[in-house]
Parts: sequence; structure tokens; C-alpha cells
Amino acid sequence: MKYKLIKGIFSKKGDRIRRMKNGKDQKIRIRIRTEDIMLAPSIIVLIAVSIFPTIYLLYATFFNYMGSVDKPVYIGLENWIKIFKDMEVFNSWKVTLIYAFVSLTLETIIGVGIAVLLYTIPKARNIFLTLWMLPIFVAPIVTGLLGRFMLNSSYGLYAYLLNLIGIKRDLLGSTGSALLCVILMDVWEWTPLITIVVLAGLEAMPTAPLESAEVEGATYLQKVWYVMLPLASRSISVALLIRAMDVMRFFDAIFMSTAGGPADTTKIIGLRLYEVAFRFGDIGYAAVIGISMLIVTTLLGRIFVKLWYSGGGEYSA
Amino acid sequence: MLRKRGLIICYSILTVAIIWSLTPIVWMILSSLKVEANMFSMPPVIFFRPTLGTYIYMFTEGGFLLYLRNSLIAAVVTTFLSLILGTLGGYALARGKYKRQKDIAFWVISTRMMPIAAAIVPLYLMFSKLHLIGSLFSLIFAYTTFDLPFCLWIMMSFFADLPVDIEESAFVDGATKWQTFYKIVLPQVLPGFVSSGILAFMFAWNDFAFASVFTSPDTQTIPIAASLLVSQTGIQWGQAMAIGTIIVIPMLILGLISRRYLVRGLTMGALK
Repeated sequence: MKYKLIKGIFSKKGDRIRRMKNGKDQKIRIRIRTEDIMLAPSIIVLIAVSIFPTIYLLYATFFNYMGSVDKPVYIGLENWIKIFKDMEVFNSWKVTLIYAFVSLTLETIIGVGIAVLLYTIPKARNIFLTLWMLPIFVAPIVTGLLGRFMLNSSYGLYAYLLNLIGIKRDLLGSTGSALLCVILMDVWEWTPLITIVVLAGLEAMPTAPLESAEVEGATYLQKVWYVMLPLASRSISVALLIRAMDVMRFFDAIFMSTAGGPADTTKIIGLRLYEVAFRFGDIGYAAVIGISMLIVTTLLGRIFVKLWYSGGGEYSA
Repeated sequence: MLRKRGLIICYSILTVAIIWSLTPIVWMILSSLKVEANMFSMPPVIFFRPTLGTYIYMFTEGGFLLYLRNSLIAAVVTTFLSLILGTLGGYALARGKYKRQKDIAFWVISTRMMPIAAAIVPLYLMFSKLHLIGSLFSLIFAYTTFDLPFCLWIMMSFFADLPVDIEESAFVDGATKWQTFYKIVLPQVLPGFVSSGILAFMFAWNDFAFASVFTSPDTQTIPIAASLLVSQTGIQWGQAMAIGTIIVIPMLILGLISRRYLVRGLTMGALK
């Protein structure tokens, strides 16, 4: 190297000044393209809203904030050691897993089923789909509120109807049914998402395979199983991944309906973190839980990006 | 594809599905129009004289306008910022031939997928250091963690779909990249632009978790107002249902407007 960089700044023209060994300055032209100027603000803001907070989250795991938020005490790996022995956090992961698994299974079965049925009736498809998908737009906090209202044992509509067929209990208040109730709330809100995604996949698929199945005398169920579902499989996986990540993202509905109770049976991991941080004030420990959640969502994100880039085919559904 | 009997089964299942998905929403709206006495009577009262009493109370004595104002400011500013930055950035990423395009894309998507609970903690620490807790700025900043990567990514997928030829011929005719961008490219993605904006707005409008930590009585948003009605002693269901209705109705309308690009928005452009 004949010269070394001494000023990393850009001059007005976008030149970079380098000082040669013999002491003379040399201008080296750096091309800044219009695209770079367009991208720069987003990148700067993204660093502020994502990279910096993530580093801060990691940093916070080494401190104890219980005494004061402004003057945390350095405690090394204590929070990290604690999480491996914490049965409550372990239990929350278990609840999250059950919650995610059961709701995603139900949502897939019902959502795909409805999509196939809607695909079967082209004429009435639009109106049915429009009405079916309305819950998607309901704020999760309102879903929680509604769950609580509809299931209230003394004046809830659903509780009343269940009462008529002999089910008499405090549905959100008993350990046996609360998790099922919050799962059904999730199913109510998000099954239509699976439906619209899968339906879009079905609508994008070529009609030739269906027609040839028709010629060969396949029954309706055979067509669904052997032709439609395989062709829609990518859209099903995309929808499932999105939902899996959203289960990690949100906890509003559960917060509003059961607040994680009774006896922590509905306390998914996000809600646990929220409580640890803002009810018990143990922000350092909450940060460790946050890191563990980030690891899971990053893994899911990786799979998602792979799927995303695999969609460049003829019909990307 | 189905014969008559099959079709009947098909329509019946769909009807049941729709009753299931609509009942809570309809029940909420009906309850918000009832007087308290009717609201709690079981068997349920279906025919009643609707009253706007709850709404009138909320807007006059209930101080609801403040919540509405806060919600609107936070959601509108966030959407506006994210959409402008995201559209520019999305275009640059789609056309700029960056070597690390995939890495940037992965970074963007992981930001979008960041669990709210995990994002709240560092933001809370940052804001309390800077004494920003309780300001609408903190809320806007928090919503941007989701809305910017969302808009950037979706707009990128829209731009990537456009054929490059038109832009190239514009360059040949002597247009600058900026001119090409807003005179030729932007009009073509306008519907996508609007629906991404709607979904970004919806996220901010519907949020509860961030707002529950970052707001003070002056800056509380509508979802917080809803949660405040729940107390140890009980819930003011009349107002709760009215607030729920006010949160939900505009989103239903906006959601249906953006329907055409909904799949794309909800799947982050993985499906079109």
C-alpha cells in the first residue's frame, strides 16, 4: 500500500481524500449511486430500531435492574444460569409449544378445508371469503376482551349456549379449559389467514392437472387430496411459518382474557417476559428470556427467507 | 366439481364457519348499542331499542377524544415515515444490485419478526434513560421497529415484479433515477403502496403491548383505554364493547379495501 487512509470523510463531490506516503493528498472518486441515497435512511433507521436494541438486550442480560432501572448492578452470568434452572420459564415454553402446536394444527385443518370448499364454489366465493376473513382485522386486545365477554359464566353468550348443552363451568377460570379457550380465540382470529393464503395458492395453480383428474374420473376427495393439496403445499408452509412467528410476537389476547392464569396454564413465553420485566421489575432476567425468544424467531426467519427465495418459479404460490 | 348433495354440504359447512367468525363481532356491536340491563340478560336479548348512549358518554364525559388523538398521531406518523423510507429503500434494494442483498433482506425480515416482548425490554431501557417514556415519540419509534421492515420488504417485492425495460428506456430518454422513480415506477405500484400503508397503520392502531409500557395518561391510545376498563372490581362492559367497536370498525373497512394485496402483505410477499 502506497498510501493510507487518513480521513474517512467525503468531500462535497463525494471524493475520499487519501494522503500519499510522500505527504501529498490524493482524491479518490467514490461513486455514490442514487440507490445508495435511497437506501441509506432506511438502513440508518433500521440500525436504530433493530441492531442497537438487540445489542442493548444482550448487554442488559448481565445486569440486575431490581434496585433501580437507572443504576443496574453488574452480576455477570447470573441471569443466564438462572434461566436453565427456572421451572416457571420452562413451563412457559411448554405452554407456548402446546399453544402453538394445537392452534396451528386446528388452523391448518380448518383453514385449508375452508379454502378448498371456497375454491369449489367460484360464484359465491367472494362474499363468503369476505365475511369469513373479518376476524383477521380485529385487534388482538379486542379478541381477548370478546373472549372474556362471551365466555363469562353469568352473562356470556357462548357460556350460555354451552350451559344449554350441560357444560357449566367458569371456562376461562378453570385450569382444565382456559388453555383450550385461548387457543380457540387464536383459531377464531387467525384461521382465515391460512384460508386466504391457501386459496390464493389454489387460484394461482394451473387448471390442467385438475382437468386431467376429472377426465380420469377422480372423485372430489381424490382431487382435493392428490391434486389441490400438493400444489398448495408451499403456501401452506408459508402461512404456518408466519403464524408460528406471530405466536411468539403477540400476547395481547391472552393478556386481556386470562392474564396467563389460572395457575399459569396460559402463560405463554411472551407474557412471562412481560410480567418478569414490568410486574416484577427484573429486567435483566427478562432480557435473557428475550434472547431465547429471539433465537427461536431467527431460526424460523431463516426458514422463511429460504422459502421466500424458492418462490421464483412459474407461479409463485 | 360437486354434485347437488355435495354442494349442500359444502354450503352448510361454510355457513357454519361464517356464523362462528361473525358472531363475536356482531355481538360486540349489538352490545355496544344496548343499555346495561339488556346487555347481561340471559337468555340473550336480540331485539331491543338501540341507543347511542354509551358512545355519547365516551365522547363527552369519558374523555375519549384524547385517546383517539393519540392513536391517530402515533399510527399516522409511523405509517407515513415507514412508507416513505420503506418505499425508497425497497426500490433501492430491488434495483440496486447489492452484493449483500440477501443478507440485508434477512436482516430486514428478522426485524419484522422480532417478538414484541423481546423488543420492549431494550426500548424501555433506552427510553427511560432518555426520559422519553410517556411520549408519543417512544410509541412511534417502537412501531417503526415493525412497520419499517414491513414496508421495506413488501415494497421491495412489488418493485422486483416490475419489468426493468420501462425504467431503462426512461434513462435512455435522459430522465434521472429520481424522475424515473416517482414519475414512472411509483404510479405502477400505487395500489401496493396504499395497501402496505393500510397494514402498517393497522399494526400501530391495534397495538396494545408497546402502548401499555410506553405511554402515560396523556399519551394513552385507544387499546389502552379498553384495557383500563378492566379492573379488580369488574369490567364496564358497555364502554368496553363500544371501544372495541370503535377500534375494529375502521380496520374492517380498511382491511377490505386492501383485500387484493392482503395475501402479499400478510405473508411478507412470499405469496402473491
